[in-house]
Amino acid sequence: MNLDRLFSHLAGFMDQYLVLPVLFHLHWMAWDDLAFDWCLICVYGLFAVLVTYAVCLPLEHWRPVERWQNRKAVLVDVFYTLLNRVGVVPIVTFVLFYQAQTWSTALLVRHGFIPPTLDSLVPGLFGHPLLTFCLYALILDCADYWRHRLSHAFRWWYALHSLHHAQRQMSFWSDDRNHLLDDVIAFFWFFAIGLAIGIPPLQFPILLLGLKFIESVSHANIRLSYGPLEWLVVSPRFHRFHHGLRAAGRQSCNYASVFPIWDIIFRTADFRNEYLPTGDARAPEALVTGGYLAQQAAGLKLFCQALAKSWASLGIGRAA
Amino acid sequence: MITRRLALSLPMALAAAPSAHAQAAPPLAFALNSAAGSVTIIDMKSRQPLRTEPTFREPSHWALTRDRKTLLVCDAGGNGLFMFDPRTAAPLGHRRIADPYQLGFTPDNKYLAVNALRLNFIDFYDAATLALVKRFEAGHWPSHLDFSPDSRWSFHSLQKSNSLVSIDLATLSQRWSVPVGDTPAGVLWHRGKILVCIMGARGFVEVNPENGRITRQIVTGDGAHNIFIDTRRNVLYVSNRGPGRTGLTALDPASFEILRDYPISGGPDDIGIDPQGRIWICLRFAEAVAVLDPQTGDYTTIPVGRSPHGIFLNTMLREPGLITAERI
Repeated sequence: MNLDRLFSHLAGFMDQYLVLPVLFHLHWMAWDDLAFDWCLICVYGLFAVLVTYAVCLPLEHWRPVERWQNRKAVLVDVFYTLLNRVGVVPIVTFVLFYQAQTWSTALLVRHGFIPPTLDSLVPGLFGHPLLTFCLYALILDCADYWRHRLSHAFRWWYALHSLHHAQRQMSFWSDDRNHLLDDVIAFFWFFAIGLAIGIPPLQFPILLLGLKFIESVSHANIRLSYGPLEWLVVSPRFHRFHHGLRAAGRQSCNYASVFPIWDIIFRTADFRNEYLPTGDARAPEALVTGGYLAQQAAGLKLFCQALAKSWASLGIGRAA
Repeated sequence: MITRRLALSLPMALAAAPSAHAQAAPPLAFALNSAAGSVTIIDMKSRQPLRTEPTFREPSHWALTRDRKTLLVCDAGGNGLFMFDPRTAAPLGHRRIADPYQLGFTPDNKYLAVNALRLNFIDFYDAATLALVKRFEAGHWPSHLDFSPDSRWSFHSLQKSNSLVSIDLATLSQRWSVPVGDTPAGVLWHRGKILVCIMGARGFVEVNPENGRITRQIVTGDGAHNIFIDTRRNVLYVSNRGPGRTGLTALDPASFEILRDYPISGGPDDIGIDPQGRIWICLRFAEAVAVLDPQTGDYTTIPVGRSPHGIFLNTMLREPGLITAERI
């Protein structure tokens, strides 16, 4: 049995004996078809976490950039990861995305426009799902580069994103450490792109996990670069430079998540062979060592303050 | 893309009799892999997958043109309608259509009715040109559909509105919309009545097509999803999706007496019946098509793509009469 089939079996089992009884009991059987997709997302998410853990943990022990006496600050990142990959967030995101996508597509169709898919737009692409997947991966990674770069450019947006940068003990668990509002912005960002080029094909979930794996490894506390392949795929060294104390805030570098080519093209790449300490010197301590709720509250407070400052600088809210 | 010539030729021949051409077609099964964006073509003799044909995102259900020369496959997620030669499985192009989830030609071949589940549309296209004629927004999640044999009415289950809606096909206006139960799905015109599977209950209901009144409730199993009739052997089948125990229920088409239960794991969905009476069942979670011997209850499986949803057996081309996904 191949891996893909095994995951389907596990998701089917989970659907049949855990999810469907709940849906049946609550009279939500209309969601029956989608429930299997939710289960698949959770099964794949769990697998991704296990593989990342199995690969990165030995590497972090073998060639760590930093050795920490106390790993308590990492624990909250573990919670972020489980919440984002296996827990509530993927299911909520899935439902929200589904609802938003259908609502907006219906609106467009009512006005005579049927949203296309990339493989229906680009001649020669249809019938080559792997090529289609790669093109989607490149476009979405480019979009993520600009989302990330803009999140450093606006004061109010960086106030949210600073939660991700505040971690001084950066490890492979840190990839999903984000403020909920920052996740919401990312959701709408990719939602808009999805409307323009269609939803990417899901024929290659393992490849999709591979891309997510690259992102997780890039956050790992490992002294590792990919040598001559550094320009091809984001390495722990490359991304650590982005998280370096010198790079936090509005003048950063190495924004790419998977493919450094965007940093090269848009002139923000820095390939120096240095392993900097990570963190954001200006971040309040609650953002660094606080629990999940404390971090979310501190991020929200920073966001409000930054927004107020931005409005004040524009003259909004001043008495006449 | 599909050519205008092909679109115009879709319903040209109304003859529903099998041709000698069809008799000679190699027996092929088409499994529509809804989470893999593909159609697996299976050699029914050797029970081996021959090849995979791509679609955009999410093929689900099918309809055969009245001349039996084109098999239409819905691709809801990709907003596409794909065409295949039902004899050879050769792709014949595709056309952009909004969210086609379930579809069917009216018996008089005037319209192609399409349920756009996600977008809450019931669309009627001109069967000859595939131009949109009328759109209904009758409720949430239009799921399955069927017609009265005289082409007077159509019937559509609204999965999230818990209702069944009927359209007058002469005037293209809504006749009635009635609550029928928690999450209605499969719809079948049967002996002057409409049968509607109720997924949130334990079976199906019989509805009077004149006024939408429920006349009977029949228990088959939890999560009754779709209903089919084996027109040659005169047996009704209901696929039960659970939770828990899943499978097929065979019923007497006159009395609705349960003849036999076939427990089948793996999320049974749509079915097809081959000339020997074996039942080909899409198993959504098992990524397989099961071939069940209804005499013994034993079945073997054929691996296909992720989440196989609808299935078409081209051996049906040899049979006379109307071929739809539910009349097999």
